[in-house]
This record gives sequence, C-alpha cells and structure tokens, in this order.
Amino acid sequence: MTQTLRHEQAATSPRMPVRRLADREGFLAWAMLLPAVVYIVLVVAVPFGLAVAFAFSDVTAGDPSYDWVGLRNFGRIFDDPVFWKALGNTFVFTAVSMALIIVLGKVLANILVAEFHGKWVVRFLVLLPWTTPVALSSVAWLWLYDSIYSPIDWVLRNLGLIENHLYFLGRPELATASVIAVHVWRLVPLAAVIMMVGLLGIPTDVQDAARVDGVGFWRRMFEVTIPLTTPLIAVAALFGAIFTFTDMAVVYILTRGGPTNSTQVLSSWAFIVGIEGGDIGQGAAIALFLFPLLLAAAVLILRAVRRIEVF
Amino acid sequence: MAAYGPWTRRRFLQATGLTGLGLAAGCASEPGGGPGGGAQASVPAPSTAFTEPAGRLSGNLSILLWSHFVPSHDTEWFDEFARQWGEQVGVNVTVDHISVADIPARIAAELQAGQGHDLIQYIATLSQYEQSVLDLADVTQEANNRYGTQLELCRKSSLNPATGKYYAYAPGWVPDPGDYRRSLWEPVGLPGGPSTWQELLEGGAEIKRSQDVQLGIGMSQEIDSNMAGRALLWSFGGAIQDANEQVVINSPQTVAAVEFMQRLYRDTMTPEVFSWNASSNNQGLIAGELSYILNSISAYRSSQQRNPQVADDTLFVPALQGPETAIAAQHVMYNWIVPQLSPNADAAKEFLLHYTANMASAAYYSKLYDFPAWSGLVPQLDGWLADDPFGSTPSDKLAVLQGATDWATNIGHPGPANPAVGEVFGQYIIPNMYARAARGEMTPEQTVARAEAQITPVFDKWRRRGLVGSG
Repeated sequence: MTQTLRHEQAATSPRMPVRRLADREGFLAWAMLLPAVVYIVLVVAVPFGLAVAFAFSDVTAGDPSYDWVGLRNFGRIFDDPVFWKALGNTFVFTAVSMALIIVLGKVLANILVAEFHGKWVVRFLVLLPWTTPVALSSVAWLWLYDSIYSPIDWVLRNLGLIENHLYFLGRPELATASVIAVHVWRLVPLAAVIMMVGLLGIPTDVQDAARVDGVGFWRRMFEVTIPLTTPLIAVAALFGAIFTFTDMAVVYILTRGGPTNSTQVLSSWAFIVGIEGGDIGQGAAIALFLFPLLLAAAVLILRAVRRIEVF
Repeated sequence: MAAYGPWTRRRFLQATGLTGLGLAAGCASEPGGGPGGGAQASVPAPSTAFTEPAGRLSGNLSILLWSHFVPSHDTEWFDEFARQWGEQVGVNVTVDHISVADIPARIAAELQAGQGHDLIQYIATLSQYEQSVLDLADVTQEANNRYGTQLELCRKSSLNPATGKYYAYAPGWVPDPGDYRRSLWEPVGLPGGPSTWQELLEGGAEIKRSQDVQLGIGMSQEIDSNMAGRALLWSFGGAIQDANEQVVINSPQTVAAVEFMQRLYRDTMTPEVFSWNASSNNQGLIAGELSYILNSISAYRSSQQRNPQVADDTLFVPALQGPETAIAAQHVMYNWIVPQLSPNADAAKEFLLHYTANMASAAYYSKLYDFPAWSGLVPQLDGWLADDPFGSTPSDKLAVLQGATDWATNIGHPGPANPAVGEVFGQYIIPNMYARAARGEMTPEQTVARAEAQITPVFDKWRRRGLVGSG
C-alpha cells in the first residue's frame, strides 16, 4: 500500500523531474559552466577569431568589407622597423617589470604580514595603485612626469641633485624607465597580496622550528619561505607579465610610443596602425604577435595553480 | 576645552570632510571658459538664424563631437543650440562630447558595428572612412548656393577628386598662426616676432642663450606636431604628395627642411618637444616657459584666464616664410560625416545646414577660434578680429588672422586630403621623420628615405582601392 502511494506521488509530483536533473552531476556541471563558456566565447574567442580573420584581410576602419589578402599584412609589418622595435620593447618592458615586481612584491608582502599598528590602513593604501583604473593612474603619472610641472623634477632640483629639467618622457632611456616604473608601481600591490597569501599559508611551527635551530633571516628566506611559496610567486609573476605584456594604456597615455617610437609596444602600435591609421588588417596582424606569449603564460599559470593544489 | 583637545577619529573625519567640501566649492567656482566667464564679451552674441527644413523631419538625431578646446562653445552654445533646433523641427536631438583623442577609435568602432551616432564631427580630415559614409555633395552644394564658393582648403579636406565623393562636410576650420612673447623677442631685435623660419632660428637661439626660454614646436606623435612639420616642409618647397597625388616626399627640399629642423632643435629647443601632446603648447605658454609656439588661439585664450600677464605679452604672426613659400596647415579642419547606416540622414543634413547658417555663433562662442568655410558667412568676423570682444590687450592683436586664408592650406597640400594622407597623418610619420634627425638617430637623407618607405605603401594600398588618384 505504502509503495503504491509512493509510485502515485512520484507520477503526479511536478517536482520530481527537477530533482532528477538537480541530481545529475553531468548536467549540473555543464549548466554551471555554460555561462562562463558563453562569456569566454563571446568576449575572447569571437574577438580572437575576428583578429585572425582581419589579419589576412584588407579591412579598414572605413571599409568593413572582407577581401582576402593572404600574408600581405605580415609582409608589410615585417618590413617595418617600428614593428620590430615594438616587439622588442614588449619583451623588455615585460621582463624588467616582472623582475622588479617579484622582488618588490616579496619585500612588500613581508612587511604586510608583520605585526604593527595601523597594518590594515597600510594594506589598504598599498592596494590603491592596483584598484585605481590604469588610465586614471597613467594620467596622474603623466603630470608627475610633465616637462614643466613635474614634482619629481622639482624636488630633485631643489635638493640640488639635478640642475636642469630631466624631461622624463622626452628622452628614450628615461621614457622607457618611466613606463616601466608605472607598470611596477601599479602591479607590485597585486603581487604583494598574492605572495602575502602564500606567506600566511606557511605553518608557524615550520618557521618556529627554523628559528629554534638558529637559522638566520636570509637563510630562512631562501631555504624555507621562498621554496614554500614558489607556486604563488610564480602566479604573481605571471599575472604581472600578462598585465604588462598586454597593456597599452600606460604607453599610449604617457608617450604615445615616443620619442621616435622608442617606447612603442605591440599593443600601442597595433592601435595606432589599426585604429588611428585606419588599417585594421595590419593592426590585427601586429596584435596577433601577442598571442604566443599569452598562450605560454596561460599554460604556465595553470601548471602553477595545479602545483598549488598538490601543495 | 574639548574643542582644542587631541584629534579624535570623529574630528578627523569632520575636518577632512569640510576640507573636501571646501575644495569642491573652490573648483566649482573656478572662472568658466566662456564669453561670460573670465574676459567679458564687449559685443552681444549673434542671434540664431533658423530656416525651415526642406522636408518634414521626425525621429531622433544623435550627434558625436569633440569637447571643444574653448569650453564655452559647448557649454554656452552648441548643446542648447542643437536641442532647440530639434524642438523646432520635431527631432529629438542628443549630443555627446568626448575627448578629441578618443574620436577616431569611436568612429572605427561605430562603423564596424554598423550602428551608433547619426552625425559625427572630428577636427581633422576623415577621408579614410569614405567607403562607409554618405556622400554629402548635396549639403555642400546647398551651402555653396547660399553662401558662395567654399574655401579651397575646406573643399580639398572633404572632397576626394579620385571618386568625386564628398566624404565629409567641412563648414569650418581653425588657423594655425605663430604665438610669440613680445617681451622675449623685443630684446633680440624682433618686437614684431619672427616672420621667416631663419628669424625664428636666429631669434629663438638668442632668446634661449640669453633668457633661457625655449621654443615649443612639437616632434611627437600628436596633432600639433603633425601640423608644424607640414608647415616647415611646405615652406621649404617639400611635400608628401604632389597635386596628382604621387608621393614626392624624398626630395632635396624635404632634406633641407629636416636639416633646418635639426638646427632649430639644437639651438632653440629641449627634449620636451619629443614628448609633446595636444596640451603642451598651452601649458608651456601659460607657464611662461615658451617664447614661440605654433598653435591656434586656444592657448592664448587659456592664458587670458590663467596668466593674464603672459596673455597680454602674447602676439601672433602668420605662417613663416621659408626658402620657397610661407604657408601653414590648418590647425583644425572640421569634418562632419554621416555613416551610411544612419537611419536619420535627412535630419543630419538639415542640421548641418542649420549649423552652417549659424557659424557666426560658432565663431563667437569659441572666442574666434572657429572660422567659417565661406568667406562671407560671418561678416562680423573681421571686425571682431580687429577689435577683440573678449578682452585682448591690445585689442587688435588678432587682426593678423584676417588674412589667414592666404597662408593656410589643407594637410594634403598641394593635393587633396585623400585617405592615404589621412593614414600618414594618423601614423605620425612626418613628426617622427624630423625627430629621428633632430635626435641624431639618422641623417636627414636617411630619415627622409625612411619616411618615404613608410608613406609609399600607404599610398599604394589606397590607390589599389581607387581612392587615391593615379596621376
């Protein structure tokens, strides 16, 4: 009798099919993943596909009609010395910024995990550069580097360290350093927070045991702390590399690639050629050179994340 | 006593809050840039002219244009002017202003998407968008019927002779005179400012030596450097293209212009010109740090409000005489385009005619920054220039601009501003050509050859598309 009732309830209850779907892990997995997949397809895969298609076309800003031109766009960019300069700069800016971001991020992380009054205020202030929109902070730096009104320049002159204006953005070597400095300034906080998480994850008894054994600060740093936080340091480094490699706002706002294209990077040159110059096909071909390194970085990040899971 | 006690968190927040409010109020009360703010206008604004549209209009009209360098143009005139026209003709008008630097990207995005604004304005030629915009020959023809013949530099900046299409409508432009500081040039024997490039070099060098004030002529990837570079090039007899749209950049005249720029940089300027941006002229002039700039009067207008002493000391000279001629590029060329997919093209065209009929207001509210494309369209203009209504001292200092059409030309001179010229302009090839030599990275011959190697493929590409004449 009871069994009959259950069957009747099962047959009549409208909630049963829902419950069955909710119980099916395979269905749930796809249902949960679908929004993310759709999102990635729409904002990553489609634009990427378009960029590849445009790179082999003669599409311009004023004529969206598609005509296949084969490798002509690539031939033209290979003949252009500015492209090679931009490619080299992209790697140099990324490598130097990444090295500085790791070192300074580690130092900052060590400070932030220490106990001191006002730690939360300091943590908040330290994070500000990262939370500020990059375009906004770049405009602020543009004023800091201004040829007339630069406060950095003013301080150095009043301290007697320099006699004349430095013209931060008017000299290639200083302009390069200025761009790298902004990248480091805005990405060190992110790296520091990521590394701070790693430091806080180290069991205190490990550190205590090292101290009891009389291990000094530097030895603990290089033989205990860094090995135990290496996966997170790698994640911080790779995030820093990706954000530097793909950014065009800092260069575009500070120097527009100048002087004489000496600070041009792939993304800014692709923008100038593709949008300001109107040659979208060639701009897309330039931008495609960002892809191999980004792919490698993505693979490395995923491998580092797996190491963290194992760890 | 508590009021003088130690700082509590509450007191700190109160104090910082009040400070913030005070600063906000201070910023809000900063003198405006309009005819009503700062220098008061001594003549009344022109009244708005209205002509019934040719046909019945309805629907919407969305307009995208730059944030004018003279803010009163937008805040005191244009936005309300457009809205009122919409009310009169039954069209719902919306106006969006964005930074001039963002407009090319916005146009490209809207044309690629096939939707966006019905009417778009930019301050340089938009020839590269020819295939996605409507032919505005009918609007130009109607304006010619009403006001006479359009100025040649405006026609050449809106008509592609290779296709016969008016890819844009150019109802106005802005001259690009030299702005100099009289108190600096007087001691070097040139109280009237330089009249030739040679005088600019010699006088500028002496000012830098004796008074430690440099010239400000950009060699950077921005619009002012583009204009300055062309003025020098043409004055030495060089050009990017000839009248038949053939590339002629690699010439002894161009090399001579580059050699001159090398000397000009070495003797009169500093590395700041390689980091020049669109506001560098203004900043330098207002700060009193520059003896001469090539710019519109916007830098001067800014200094009238922020540094009146410098403003009173600033005077203007026409295009400098070079070995061949004395011409300069227009500082701004207004190009209005109507995208092909605009559903409100009729309203856009009627608005353009209405705007043209009121160019006197555009000139007035831009404080004589905007000039009309038809010489008789703003009859008051010469009088205003001779006796500036916006507080110049002396009041006739702008009179030199009365003859600006004699020494101003379009950026493709001596040919038209075709799509190839537009792309060369957008890639800043000319400022970089000078900068490489000035910085000693290349010889003049090498940098000119490099520029030619960059320019020729651009022309070839557009010629293949039939948008550049084949000679």
